[in-house]
Amino acid sequence: MRRLIALLALIATSAFAATQVVAATPPAPAATAATSTAKGLWLLTDYPSQTVRAGEVTNVHFKLQNMGLAPEPLALSLGDVPAGWKIDLMGSGQPVAAAMPTMNESVSLQLRVDVPKDAKPGSHVITIRAKGQNQAIELPVTLTIGEIAPAKLTIKSSLPALRGTPKSSFDYTLSVTNDSGKDLTVALAAQAPSNFQTTFTEGYGSNEISSLPIAAGASKDVKIKVTPPRDVKAGDYPVLVKASAESATAEQRVTLQISGQGKLALSTKDGRLSGDATVGKTSNYTLVVSNDGTAPLEDVEMSGTVPTNWKVEFNPKSIASLAAGDKKEVEAVVTPSDKAIAGDYVASFRAGGRGDSANADFRITVTTSTLWGIVGIGIIAVALLVLLGAVARFGRR
Amino acid sequence: MPRSLGGREGSPFTGIGPVYMKELADHLSSVRMLVLTLFIIVFGAFPVASSLQQLRTTIGSDAYLFLRIFTIEPEQVPIPFVQALNFVIPLMAIGLGFDLVNSEFNRRTLSRVLSQPLYRDALLLGKFLAGLTTLAVALAALWLIVFGAGLLLLGLPPRGVEVARALGFLVVAVAYGGVWLAVAMFFSVVFRSTATSALSALGLWLFFFILWPLIAQAITRAFVPPEITSLDQYIGLQELALALQRLSPGTLFSEAVLALLNPETRTLGPMLPSQMRGAIMGAPLPLGQSLLLIWPQVTGLIAGMIVVFSASYVIFQREEVRA
Repeated sequence: MRRLIALLALIATSAFAATQVVAATPPAPAATAATSTAKGLWLLTDYPSQTVRAGEVTNVHFKLQNMGLAPEPLALSLGDVPAGWKIDLMGSGQPVAAAMPTMNESVSLQLRVDVPKDAKPGSHVITIRAKGQNQAIELPVTLTIGEIAPAKLTIKSSLPALRGTPKSSFDYTLSVTNDSGKDLTVALAAQAPSNFQTTFTEGYGSNEISSLPIAAGASKDVKIKVTPPRDVKAGDYPVLVKASAESATAEQRVTLQISGQGKLALSTKDGRLSGDATVGKTSNYTLVVSNDGTAPLEDVEMSGTVPTNWKVEFNPKSIASLAAGDKKEVEAVVTPSDKAIAGDYVASFRAGGRGDSANADFRITVTTSTLWGIVGIGIIAVALLVLLGAVARFGRR
Repeated sequence: MPRSLGGREGSPFTGIGPVYMKELADHLSSVRMLVLTLFIIVFGAFPVASSLQQLRTTIGSDAYLFLRIFTIEPEQVPIPFVQALNFVIPLMAIGLGFDLVNSEFNRRTLSRVLSQPLYRDALLLGKFLAGLTTLAVALAALWLIVFGAGLLLLGLPPRGVEVARALGFLVVAVAYGGVWLAVAMFFSVVFRSTATSALSALGLWLFFFILWPLIAQAITRAFVPPEITSLDQYIGLQELALALQRLSPGTLFSEAVLALLNPETRTLGPMLPSQMRGAIMGAPLPLGQSLLLIWPQVTGLIAGMIVVFSASYVIFQREEVRA
């Protein structure tokens, strides 16, 4: 009967406090109001009737609330503990035997209920008692042995299939939900085709994770990033993402739709990227354009950057289509400027198709013509002729 | 040799052998030659010793390390070897050549020599060639000293292309000396007094060495328009200045040597920015290209030598030789 009164008083108090808050009155008058309305000591719990599992440990949370009373030590004890059960009174993780809530405050406590394996099904009422000098209160808690909802995880992906090239990265956002009554630490794993790299990150974080804690009933967003190998063939690749905790597992299949990509390479037949040229004269270099990628390349255009006043042409100028793994020869026709100075120069050749391009720097050694050398010899010959003329004209005797 | 009143008989070069050998022997055994050789070796050895010392402490790979002995400017002595030679070679050539002909006049031995069965041509050419050979011997000795010292102190053998370039340098040096020898001989033919001819030759050398660069500059300045409006105009002025400078054999020598011993030299004239675009700087030219680059300079030196010699020949032939 007394217990009933205590509960009613509590309901009244909370209702009153709520109206006070809605009325936006400062907390101090509310506290005084509460004190004036309901003074007393209560043992409170959210769920006075709970389910426990045989052979497992369950925690029952409760509070010791003091309303408007002078603080005093209150001895805690348990009554009606079924035989074989082991129940501890815990406060802040330690076994406690007494509590002392200050005025208008509460102390959080819990029961650590260790149910033996062979406990028979049925309900047991356990009484928690708090006894001070002037007063004693108690709280009955009904514990029913039965099946607790097992740990359960769900994993969902909003975009389970992404499309891209081997160069792109595939980011899937998954939401993992803990549907059980317990906080769980969820381990994450992914099964991907060989040489695919997978990394998990949490939400918008950048740290790689392998597991994360999820509170009971909550859900968290996890991102998985899949990097396919560069030389992967076009096709669909499934990745199985697994979340597991204790006995529960959840799976979600995400798919990478990889379209092939062409990859251009520019070189010469023997790989030598240098050549000779003479000032003002055309020189031909045979370049090899190859497609090392996985898809054909369309419209490969050749272009080149050469020193000022030089000319460069390509034959053919463009390749309509280059199949994967195919190679074609292109003739680069380079004409150094008439005024070029002998020495080494860099010419840059470029092949550009849709989606990819390749560069090759070509070192061209320019030589000047030997014409002026011959002219020089002619000048010396003229000088010698002058000497011979002098000998013929002025020779004596 | 039978004499004839009409045209010449036999080769004009008959007797050149004995003249050449006698002159060479005179040169090589003379005290003057000793002094000149000492002079040139001391002048050459000093910069080489300091540049070698510097090269020994330098760490770093250089494909043309051996050629750097000739070209780097030592810290202690601010004259590179090549520049020292540019200065000393004319001095030596003038020292050898200023009294080649007029001393024979003064000693009255010319008529005695010419009474022998040989042409004047042979005498003059023999004297010139002997002087050139003496010069070449001295320079080759210096060259060998440099190479030997380099081998000893750097401890690494020169590459074939370096030897070829250094040999080319030797040839250019001999040609440069030949020009000044021809000039000295020209004055020894023109003037009877050895002192006058020596002074004239030295004066010309000083003129080219000190005065000519200033005069060339002044002439170029006279051609500068009030306002330079285009790059072509500027290049034209630069080329004019260069062309005037190149009238001096010393400029020809230093340009030829620069291109030979610094393989990275691409051009001896001004280089347009458009020509620099895309060029790989510091890349050495092949030897053939370097030779092509300096060919005008070498041609100028050799042709100049021949022309000056021809002039002295003409004057010598017209001179009267009395007993």
